[in-house]
Amino acid sequence: MPNETTIAATEEFSTLLRAETAKVSVWTTEWQPRRIALHLAIIIIGAGCFGAAMGWWRAPQQGLYVALKFPLILLLTALGNALLNAMLAPLLGLNITFRQSLLAVLISFAITAAILGAFSPLIGFMVWNAPAMTADIKATLPYGFIKLTCTVVIAFAGIVGNVRLFQLLAQLGNSKAIATRVLLAWLSVNLFLGSQLTWIARPFIGSPQLEVVFVRDTALQGNFFENIWNTIRSFDLED
Amino acid sequence: MNESNPNPPSYPPQGNPNLPPPPILGARPLGEDPTEREPIANVIGAIEALLRQPRRLMFQLRQPGAGKIIAGMLFVAILCSAIYGVIVGSFSGGVQWWAAPVKVTTGLLISTIICLPSLYIFTSLSGAQARLIEIFGLVVGLLMLMTILLVGFAPVAWLFSQSTNHIAWMGFLHLLFWGISTAFGLRFLQAGFAHAKARSNSGLNTWAVIFVLVVLQMSTALRPLVGTSEDMLPKEKKFFLTHWFDSMGVKP
Repeated sequence: MPNETTIAATEEFSTLLRAETAKVSVWTTEWQPRRIALHLAIIIIGAGCFGAAMGWWRAPQQGLYVALKFPLILLLTALGNALLNAMLAPLLGLNITFRQSLLAVLISFAITAAILGAFSPLIGFMVWNAPAMTADIKATLPYGFIKLTCTVVIAFAGIVGNVRLFQLLAQLGNSKAIATRVLLAWLSVNLFLGSQLTWIARPFIGSPQLEVVFVRDTALQGNFFENIWNTIRSFDLED
Repeated sequence: MNESNPNPPSYPPQGNPNLPPPPILGARPLGEDPTEREPIANVIGAIEALLRQPRRLMFQLRQPGAGKIIAGMLFVAILCSAIYGVIVGSFSGGVQWWAAPVKVTTGLLISTIICLPSLYIFTSLSGAQARLIEIFGLVVGLLMLMTILLVGFAPVAWLFSQSTNHIAWMGFLHLLFWGISTAFGLRFLQAGFAHAKARSNSGLNTWAVIFVLVVLQMSTALRPLVGTSEDMLPKEKKFFLTHWFDSMGVKP
């Protein structure tokens, strides 16, 4: 028989996914350690399972590393931008506190992680059916397909998380226009930091030619945007 | 029934060309809301008010004894710009650990002092009824908002400064963060002047352009901020755009 805590956690999880914004907005009004622990657990388990499924193709150890890195990226993004997000919200018309902004972002990340977690068995199944990684794996159809599927799932989870965040912000501020402004600002700064953290935390799927590592020796050399810029410039030179 | 008015009113209504244009309308009088009249006890209260109740801060800046709040706000601005300066200096390390915060802080302060008289003149010419202390308070508000936002950007800036060796990229990133912060700061200043009964915003807008140009040129005059150099201050004088093009290896 499930105990009361388990039932309450399951109900809260359902409320989170159903986007009952009136209820969820009340959650942001106070620090509730049990609820925060639930959201952190969803992020760690959901994003962790997805990461494990992704990294498992290269090696079980890689799966473990990515299972640690994925939730870390989400949590560090939320914490790294917590102060900035809390300042941007009132400046853009949404008068919420530091606690409310941090919890709102955590809630949206929890929804994203829950979706990622739900898709992790599917990714795991795909990886299980994929041929073993060989030196030329990047040129094969399964590699491209798995990479594309992971990207689509991450994008879908991210979009749903942000739609839910928008609904929550609209509820908190009683204005869709203000919610849109704040969401765009938060999205920009979170994407900016998140993409760099993701860049530092490479590899995810991994490569058979390279050793299985938590982060590469060159993790802190270069950045995501510099790399995109160099790629664009290389196209330019080739033309 | 369909009588036509022989002297139809003109739209938009035309005022007497001999009189100065009316003040800009639309801003509710400060202090209308009782919460705006609540005194600000300390700097934490000033930061809170700046972010959440800017009208309260604007009202308090007009009250006798506003000097204490302004001094506190100035202290916060100095502290925050020094903190961000440390982040700027963390890219190169060494001497820049202390040189960058000193340069960032003094650069911002000197730029403000240089620009303050022109702001007073421009706003007075626009018909604004604001005392010098109020104007100074609003400018310090701009500085405080700008620098606390920079502190908000600090974790992101630090992460990038540890993971890139490209000086031009880091320079661009700091400029981007400074630009965003300044935009919010100038918005506060503009909101503050909306209550000064100015006839037009053109003076303030002109001043905003001047302020931005002065700070950008100051960053070039105090270089290096991000990278390193044998000299603490540059021997060669350069316009900031020339410096940027040089840093990017582009010939203007």
